[in-house]
Amino acid sequence: MTRRLFWKLCAPLVLGTLALVWVVTFLGDETEQQMSFIAEQHQQTLKQWGDTAERLYRAGDEQALAVWLEELQARENTWAAVVRSDAQPLAGSTLSAQFQEGFRLGRNVEWKIHLYFTENPIMDLPFADGHTHFLVTLPQRMRPGTYLPEVKLLLKLALPLAVLMLLASVIYHYLMGPLRQLEMATRAFSEGNLGVRVRAQFGNRSDELTALAETFDRMAERTGDLILTQRRLIADLSHELRTPLTRIDMALSCVEEGIDTQHFLPRIRRECRLMRSLVEDALTLAWLENEQPSLDQDSLDLTDLLDSVIEDARYEYPQHCLDVDLPHQAEISGSSHRALAQAVENVIRNACHYTPAGGHIRIGLRPEGEGYRLTIDDQGPGVATEQMELIFTPFYRTAQARDDRPDGHGLGLALARRQVEAVGGKIHAENLAEGGLRMSLWFPASRPTPP
Amino acid sequence: MASVAPRRPHILVVEDDRTLNGQIAGLLESKGYRTCQCYEGEGALLSALGQHFDLILLDVLLPKLNGFDVLDRLRKTRQTPVMMLTACGAEEERILGYRRGADDYVPKPFGFTELILRIDALLRRTLGHTDQRGDPEELTLGSLKLDRGNLEAHHADTPITLTPIQFRLLWSLALHQGEVLSKPYLYQLVLEREFSRYDRSLDMHLSRVRRKLIMAGMAADRLQTVHGKGYCFL
Repeated sequence: MTRRLFWKLCAPLVLGTLALVWVVTFLGDETEQQMSFIAEQHQQTLKQWGDTAERLYRAGDEQALAVWLEELQARENTWAAVVRSDAQPLAGSTLSAQFQEGFRLGRNVEWKIHLYFTENPIMDLPFADGHTHFLVTLPQRMRPGTYLPEVKLLLKLALPLAVLMLLASVIYHYLMGPLRQLEMATRAFSEGNLGVRVRAQFGNRSDELTALAETFDRMAERTGDLILTQRRLIADLSHELRTPLTRIDMALSCVEEGIDTQHFLPRIRRECRLMRSLVEDALTLAWLENEQPSLDQDSLDLTDLLDSVIEDARYEYPQHCLDVDLPHQAEISGSSHRALAQAVENVIRNACHYTPAGGHIRIGLRPEGEGYRLTIDDQGPGVATEQMELIFTPFYRTAQARDDRPDGHGLGLALARRQVEAVGGKIHAENLAEGGLRMSLWFPASRPTPP
Repeated sequence: MASVAPRRPHILVVEDDRTLNGQIAGLLESKGYRTCQCYEGEGALLSALGQHFDLILLDVLLPKLNGFDVLDRLRKTRQTPVMMLTACGAEEERILGYRRGADDYVPKPFGFTELILRIDALLRRTLGHTDQRGDPEELTLGSLKLDRGNLEAHHADTPITLTPIQFRLLWSLALHQGEVLSKPYLYQLVLEREFSRYDRSLDMHLSRVRRKLIMAGMAADRLQTVHGKGYCFL
């Protein structure tokens, strides 16, 4: 699923907010309702007042009742009275049964108070006869809902604030956890720990952040490889340069001493040529490895290329017998003649070198699949099976190669492989049953050229 | 080979390494060229604009003004042939050099023999030695007939189909029959670009021409490869 993270963040946010709105509304209504009732103790006080009024009224002591009312009004800073209600139906109408039992002039103490009215309501405490009432404006001190504004503030501001902050913190931690791991990994990588990887630390999680972790891992893999390759290349290269440099040094000393000058000057020139080709090959190798270029701009005829390389080989190894079987034409496109020429030249020169003088080298080119198969068979010693892949590693030389070719530097086949791969081809080596090594190369006849 | 014209060509050597600069200039003088040395970009540009040179050898990494900038400014007014020398062998820099108008490019390290071959090839082209207007319209060498106007080749009345490049290659070799033409020279002449190591374009064209000539019935050894030197039509 794409946009996993979006849905993961969406769910708690949307559901949480909806739930919050619902809870706040519900709690608000509920609290307001609960807070609208007169407190139990005040209800009792009001009822006691009613009882006192009724008692005084029943005793017929109107003077005492008046004094008591006066005193109550003064004490509670309110209005109080004892009144008689006398509902008289007019124009032939009748009173309903409810009115015969008695009716109310004010509010029952057990009823809710409308808190949105600023004026306090009149409380009605009817006497037993049903027609006499003790009426009192609810004293301010008994008005319920004193803390309603604070409670409302709490409910509508503090609660959502707290819940949303909690939600934000959960989301923050959910996002920051992996990001922090990535940050730590990046720092470790920049400090030289090339082996650091992040994806495994994320466990079963799977979203955009794990995709980022995978990308980081791929980057770390490639960059780490490159750095290691570069380090190895530089180490190998400087090591390989030491030998010819020392030989030049020695040769120069000999010339200075006047020993065999005729012999040593060509030696110095040869060493220079060797170092030059070593540096050039190492740079080309580094270029191919670092840039991984796709070489696809040239069209060429493999037969022409092989003709010219073989002509040079025949000149260089006049005692060898090159059996060549080429088609009249073998055109390929989307390739690189320079890369192919160097690769093929290296492979053919190797074959000539390891084949003893007078031996045969078979070179064959034939169509295969969507391209051409080039095989080069020599009559050399072959390569031990476990070294068959190693010979394509830069600066790797078999013991045989070290003995046979002190001038070589072990870059030829490494370069050849990368060059052949850069033109979309393949190269591998195998031992022949009858002895000798077969180098087998395949080149695509065409490649889609990217726009 | 190095057929230095009656007039001694004048070469400006721009290279900040004084030792290398001195060595190149010395070797060029010994081959009969006149030289002038410069060690940084601005001075080089002033010299190149102020005097007439037949060729400028221009290093890329220079103090004050780098080689490409020198080339850019020079090209606004002058078309003096320029050969870039650089230690960076990356393909990009080579392509960059060409787009900005360099005539050849020599990656360091280079040998003097290689350098002199390229200088010779470039001068032969730019000093007009390869002007084909003076060439005959037709060449007949034994049974081989070449018609320059129609790019047609016949061997004993058998037509040989050649691409324009293949024809130009065969024409150049045939015109200088018996003379060894160097690869850098043939690159300049036939492919109109520089020669570089591992570049086998010319060899491949030559292999194809040879195959076609043999199929038309010519002897295989008429087109000779002179190893380490070039090609020759006998």
